[in-house]
Amino acid sequence: MKKLSALAIGATMALSAAAMPATAQDVAPAALIISQGGLGDGSWNDTAFEGFEAGLEATGIEGRPIESNDVAAQGEEIMRRAADAGFGLVISLEWIHGEPMEKLAVDYPDTDWVIMNQTRKGDNIASVVFAEHEGSYLAGALAAQVTTDTSIKGINAEPIIGVIAAVKSPGIDKFLVGFIQGAMAINPDIEVKVAYAESFGDPAKGEQMANAMFDEGADIVYHVAGGTGIGVIEAAKNAGHYAIGVDTDQDGMAPGSVLTSMIKRVDVAVDEIIQGYAAGEFPGGEIMDFGLAQNGVALSDMEYTKDIIPAEYLEKVEGLKQDIIDGKIEVWDVSAQGYPDFFK
Amino acid sequence: MVNASVESHSSAMSPSIWLEKGFGLAFPFIVALVVAAVILLVIGENPIDIFSLMAKESFGSERRIAATLSAATPLLFTAVATAVCFRTGVFNVGVEGAFVVGGIAAAFIGFSLPAGMGFTIIPVAFAFAALVGAIWLYIPGVLLAKLQVDEVVSTLMLNFVAFGVTGYLVNGPLLSEVSGNNVTPPVHEAAELTRLMPPSTLHAGFIVGILVVIAYAVWTRRTPTGFSAAMVGYSQRFSRAVGISVPASIILVMVLSGVVAGFGGASHALGQLHRFTDGFSPGYGFTGMAVALLGRNSAIGIVLGAILFGALASAGTTIQLFSNIPLDLVNIIQGTVMIFAVVEIGRLRLLTRRAAP
Repeated sequence: MKKLSALAIGATMALSAAAMPATAQDVAPAALIISQGGLGDGSWNDTAFEGFEAGLEATGIEGRPIESNDVAAQGEEIMRRAADAGFGLVISLEWIHGEPMEKLAVDYPDTDWVIMNQTRKGDNIASVVFAEHEGSYLAGALAAQVTTDTSIKGINAEPIIGVIAAVKSPGIDKFLVGFIQGAMAINPDIEVKVAYAESFGDPAKGEQMANAMFDEGADIVYHVAGGTGIGVIEAAKNAGHYAIGVDTDQDGMAPGSVLTSMIKRVDVAVDEIIQGYAAGEFPGGEIMDFGLAQNGVALSDMEYTKDIIPAEYLEKVEGLKQDIIDGKIEVWDVSAQGYPDFFK
Repeated sequence: MVNASVESHSSAMSPSIWLEKGFGLAFPFIVALVVAAVILLVIGENPIDIFSLMAKESFGSERRIAATLSAATPLLFTAVATAVCFRTGVFNVGVEGAFVVGGIAAAFIGFSLPAGMGFTIIPVAFAFAALVGAIWLYIPGVLLAKLQVDEVVSTLMLNFVAFGVTGYLVNGPLLSEVSGNNVTPPVHEAAELTRLMPPSTLHAGFIVGILVVIAYAVWTRRTPTGFSAAMVGYSQRFSRAVGISVPASIILVMVLSGVVAGFGGASHALGQLHRFTDGFSPGYGFTGMAVALLGRNSAIGIVLGAILFGALASAGTTIQLFSNIPLDLVNIIQGTVMIFAVVEIGRLRLLTRRAAP
């Protein structure tokens, strides 16, 4: 702690090599700017931070996470300060920072910049994009097969499934549309109930909404709702039905009641970037596509449910995954294509 | 409870009261620093090191000063918008909502008018934002003045309506087609407010904010409506007895508050973010309330309070680059300042009572 304070005071002059681990002598430190929602959100920010720490540990580079109450408006000042202070790699998890980053990258050509969920131009900017629609497609395809199989405990004959989202936004609807498209690929007549909780952090509301969907005949509910989704999983457990988790592997939160989870490996992305940066191979100017093919999105291993799901369903999902990777199936991407006819 | 915060502009105060007031401004901040120091000691950090780092990150260089003033800019508007009402005894907590509807109104003008209009888009955007803000707070103003509908409830609820309406607009009719997030298209380059100290984000909205504070000072000290509004704040019965229209004063200050909050939203949209987005305001309206309380509704107090909170916001973020101090520490300092700002008002009120013959 003492060392860090001392480092702090002298920071603008130079982050002296002596204060850093020997392995990273020539590599300037890295900063990770946390997006709205902050650390402790149990998904996006936390997962990225895990990858950040893993990357730092593997490379011996110094690095710091930066939080702000006003992350939208302060983004440019934070990023400029980091570059001024000698940080060599600046990763922002906040969407709105893309535009200022494009300008900053010109002002600070020796700094490496990383932005998520969008593509930005610049020889020293790496754009990381996730194909959440592809992963959600597989979740929808699996759910559509399971939902009419009454041989599985807690499943009724109705072809009805649900999805509970946090807020209505293109970034979230990207998951929903992929999910619905996947479900419709299995059963064109399936009914997918959609509801928005208007909150990322309201488990009680999530539980209520999931119960309402179960009452109306749904037996599998996908959540794209951060902390609100914890209530969805809780409701599935209590009602004896199924939830589908999101972002991280949530299967273990209620073993046997979470059918699967649609995992987004932002940790893999951040870790990979830091390792590349440390090795002098920063992918500047590139779009890093983390889809099914790159293992950037995936369904969980289904540790607790793979024995109750008939193997042919899983094989079908595996086949669809291969078709998407091979380009035989195109999954609709709301963030790039806008809204499709089958979803408003 | 708000009547207490009105004792500001009487020029007949004795020097000892002035001393008392200066101390009153500094006291909440000192307490907050002590609390923060204790916490830092507990977690094994040296408070002196951290505080000097914070001072350096707030005011240590031209760029950091600019960053602080940039963070203070929206608070100038929201604090004035709050103070206008508080000194009249109207507990308006709806500045946040007026700020965001003003912001989306200005952003809309900023990208939808033809770019060929050049910088003349800016006054149009400010005027439209002010109009929308004024209408927004006119509603609870009338409800309070004519029907005695509690303004705390109505303005608080209107905030949620504002979040809902702007949330709908930014995800529907005004959604940028080329984005993965809830944002409007960017405003035309000509509609962006000039940056004062490039490359810092400090923009001309800061000057507008200072002008608004000056206008507020003039209004409170030199105009009949400013005076009668203060009278209403002191005592509604007295005001009625001397022929001041209480309903007219209430509606006036609510509309003024809406205009100023709308300006604030316009300044933030055109100067800082260059569009409207989710997370447009992280609660500037509520921080502005704290600034108004801390500054005792006085113009100079508001400027100082806004800069203080701006410094905490900008330094609180960038010190994380150089230390392991989490953002929570800054939140604790802010919260403590707010609590003791209110406590202080109670204490001052007691003193004034005791001093009265």
